[in-house]
Amino acid sequence: MIMMTSRQWMMTAAGIAILMALPLLLPNFWLVNIFGRALVYGVVALSLTFLAHYGGFVSLAQTMVAGVAGYAVAIMAPTAIPLGPLAMPYGAAIPLAVLAATFAGAIVGMIAVNTREIYLLMITLALAVGFSLFAQSNITWFRGYEGIRNIVGPEVMGMPFRTPMVFYYISLIVAVLMYLLVLYVVRTPFGLVLQAIRDSDRRTAAIGFHVGLHRIAAFALAGFIAGWGGVLITFYNIGITPSSIGLWATVGVLIMAVIGGLGHPLGAFIGALIYVVMDTFASSIIGHDRFNTLIGLVFLAIVLLSPDGVWGAGKRLLNAFGKGPGKPAPKEELL
Amino acid sequence: MSASTASASATPVLTLDGVGRRFGALQAVSDVTLHIEPGERRAILGPNGAGKTTLFNTICGDYPPTSGRITFFGTDISHLKPHKRARMGIGRTCQSSTLFSGLTVQENLYLAVRAAKPGRFSLLKAKPGDPDLERVRALAEQVRVDHIMDTRIDAISHGQRRQVEIGMALSGVPRLLMLDEPAAGLSAAERPELVKLMAELPRDLTLILIEHDMDVALANSEKVTVMKDGVVVVESTPDKVADDPMVQAIYLGEGH
Repeated sequence: MIMMTSRQWMMTAAGIAILMALPLLLPNFWLVNIFGRALVYGVVALSLTFLAHYGGFVSLAQTMVAGVAGYAVAIMAPTAIPLGPLAMPYGAAIPLAVLAATFAGAIVGMIAVNTREIYLLMITLALAVGFSLFAQSNITWFRGYEGIRNIVGPEVMGMPFRTPMVFYYISLIVAVLMYLLVLYVVRTPFGLVLQAIRDSDRRTAAIGFHVGLHRIAAFALAGFIAGWGGVLITFYNIGITPSSIGLWATVGVLIMAVIGGLGHPLGAFIGALIYVVMDTFASSIIGHDRFNTLIGLVFLAIVLLSPDGVWGAGKRLLNAFGKGPGKPAPKEELL
Repeated sequence: MSASTASASATPVLTLDGVGRRFGALQAVSDVTLHIEPGERRAILGPNGAGKTTLFNTICGDYPPTSGRITFFGTDISHLKPHKRARMGIGRTCQSSTLFSGLTVQENLYLAVRAAKPGRFSLLKAKPGDPDLERVRALAEQVRVDHIMDTRIDAISHGQRRQVEIGMALSGVPRLLMLDEPAAGLSAAERPELVKLMAELPRDLTLILIEHDMDVALANSEKVTVMKDGVVVVESTPDKVADDPMVQAIYLGEGH
């Protein structure tokens, strides 16, 4: 589990400070289409890392859960084209969308509550594909293949959400809050129980914890996190379509989490950044239709060379030079 | 009903009444009747495959009985879930060590302490001075692991893991403690430590011990139940069991 020493807090603060300063250094394209996009997809990947690393549940339904929030905010958005009967201000639509994702996460957890490993993967994959196909075929609410357009997001202090600075800073704030939420939760009794379930679910029950309820709560929390990602992704894409939550998007999030490293919440964002950079520049390197080849090769290389991803490789490098945060760091009181 | 137990006035801690457990075609345990009195130290002895661990699992709820009835302090628990039974005061250790290997000794004990209390979904971190942390420290001292509190389970010795397990089983202030082959796999140096630790357990704690090593079982119990092929064959005091021809046949026959 993660222990934040004062040194690590300083590194976190330094990292956040650099990210805060990025708008001064980078052109808008990098700010929004690379870093902003990496942050919002990173939040969805973070929800997967949280489940996988601390609970031991590799869920493929996180993109779907983000999609529930995305569709929910789109259906309720006041700017939607076509405008739905539920249109309401963004101030109400966004929290309701995140709430919907939290419920969706809990439902995924309930369905998958007794499955493990490959069976959990299959069930969550089936849910993900099923929801995407449902969205594609439902016209009344989901607007079928076309999806819902013009989800521009709320105005923030008089500025449109799509202003690069606004989009970037809000994405950054949400990403940092979700990241800190995960770091905090895993040190609480609830988070410790999740890690206990990961290590031995039978024993967790033997000492008196209800394993199933904790699993469902973990999926709900992961749904809450993915929901924020889903809302921001919908604003980023100015709308939502079934393909944006389909099989490829699902695999994409899994790839981000694995490339970055499932061993630490930060891995989700590192992986998302690498993925987005490659997605953006693949076309100029080897042609856009070769993106899947490129990301596939990178994925293969990572899995073979550093199963704990870029984060793990970085940690080993730092340790090799003897100054890393690695090694059992001196511990704070408890947890 | 068995008449083998001297009927005590107090409610028995645990009663098994014709308990059986079947896995498909395999009747792993059949028609076991047991009465465990408060404060009793009972050993369940038998060769490998006798159904000892299955019997344990029916008591703690991992595999509920397929026939018969189990009562704990007079309450029927035959079909309660394992975590409910744990909260009623049944603590256990497992045959193979199943601690939370990615967490520290302190965190393992802390979880066991939390498990016994309400607020299991708490999202508040324990602060220094928290009574739960005091309890963790006391448990760690009791099972003598207080010097390795911040070490992860996967970095401590097998004997120390056994000690942590017993500490965890004690955390909920159990009324019944079940130990599944606690001495298995321990080195000669670690064994006396464990026996001493068991001898120090409070006298009002009822203890059931599974052993397949006859010497360990007889040395740590007041009463012995011998099982073979899923049924109870002998129930008596340790010295009588040691001399019992049937028990000797089981053990010598097995070449033990």
